[in-house]
Amino acid sequence: MSITINTTINGKAVSASAEASTSLLEFLRDTLEYKGTKLCCNTGECGACTIIYNGKPINSCVTMAADANGAEITTIEGLADGDKLHPVQQAFIDTGAVQCGYCTPGYIMSVKALLDRTKKPTQADIEEAVSGNICRCTGYAKIVDAIQLAAQKL
Amino acid sequence: MDYFEPKTVSEALSLLAKHGAEAKVIAGGTDVMVDIKYKEESGCLINIKKIPGLGAIRENGASLRIGALTTIRELETSGLVRDKLPVLWEASHQFASLQIRNTATIGGNICRASPSGETLTPLLVLDAKAKIAFSDGEKTEPFASFFQGPGKSSVGSKGLLTEIDVPYPAQGSRGVYLKHAVRGAMDIAMVGVAVLITPDAAKNSLQDVRIGLGAVAPTPLRASKTEAMLRGKPLTAALLKEAAAMAASEASPISDQRSSAEYRRWIVEALTRRGLEQTWKAATGKEVA
Repeated sequence: MSITINTTINGKAVSASAEASTSLLEFLRDTLEYKGTKLCCNTGECGACTIIYNGKPINSCVTMAADANGAEITTIEGLADGDKLHPVQQAFIDTGAVQCGYCTPGYIMSVKALLDRTKKPTQADIEEAVSGNICRCTGYAKIVDAIQLAAQKL
Repeated sequence: MDYFEPKTVSEALSLLAKHGAEAKVIAGGTDVMVDIKYKEESGCLINIKKIPGLGAIRENGASLRIGALTTIRELETSGLVRDKLPVLWEASHQFASLQIRNTATIGGNICRASPSGETLTPLLVLDAKAKIAFSDGEKTEPFASFFQGPGKSSVGSKGLLTEIDVPYPAQGSRGVYLKHAVRGAMDIAMVGVAVLITPDAAKNSLQDVRIGLGAVAPTPLRASKTEAMLRGKPLTAALLKEAAAMAASEASPISDQRSSAEYRRWIVEALTRRGLEQTWKAATGKEVA
């Protein structure tokens, strides 16, 4: 059964239809061509598909596309201002927190949501914010450095 | 696959009556979406998230009423839950990841009826009750008799869990939820143990003891023999050892990819001992003698 979804993505009103069984991740990537949000475990365990949904970080792979109806969604594509990267994106580059890069959009969305909640995150806040994101390259220390740098810059 | 977004509980119940076993109720979706992708797609999906009034946390005399659509993050960030039901708060705090806590609902965690469901042993030791709507009326079911097997509960295929009622534990009681898993975040518990004790007025003995065991039987369960054995006694080192071993014998774990049955029993023993020791110390200010 196909349903019509009216949603707002990165401030832009979008309307499209999808099968009821479609996940929000599939809707974003395959229907709307927002390829920045990554598909990885597809079971809500790795955080690569993290987006901000009505102000909160969620795993789009285990959310129904139908739940995008009437929601405000921010994806990684919505962060940069033209050629100027968002401070969180820049901080990941400046600290070398990116290796293969596949988990990075998910991390950046989790960190963006953290810094939207609090301007001065504690170590515990940082660990909680990214505990649902897995990185298999960096060993996490540089990611924590990036988050601290982004917090200083914002 | 048919898809519905009922706007009222009665509309949801009519849909359940019409579509029966074909239908699956979905709220947060963190479990159901995984089923759709990797197991089976149900014939009909009933999304209850648009039903108003099912997402509130409110005080009701000496209990807290929690709507089925309350997210785990809402529990975790609720001052009322943290203050009045610390055992449930601890389980919410240790629940999966922030992303999942922002989406998953307590109603979903309950209706999933997984032996390892994080909130279930706390609800068992708190003597909580489920309010289930059926087309012929509402039923209140204590969690002690709610779980019938993995994925099976009193909700069945025709009912809708609307709210849970969680009584405040007795004055002077102390509780703890202990989870054993490989990863801190995201991991499903190999074993989860909730302990809630109330000492007598003189703080010399255990007036009430409740022990909930998770992920070690087809349903979450209370270690009722151990509880009965402990009641009325001061917690001594010898009694603590005996109680931990007894709790392990009340578990009937399976071996799976997360751990062997034998290992799970050891962990039940260790966590029961730890839980009793911690709560005794917190409630009486005394070491276990």
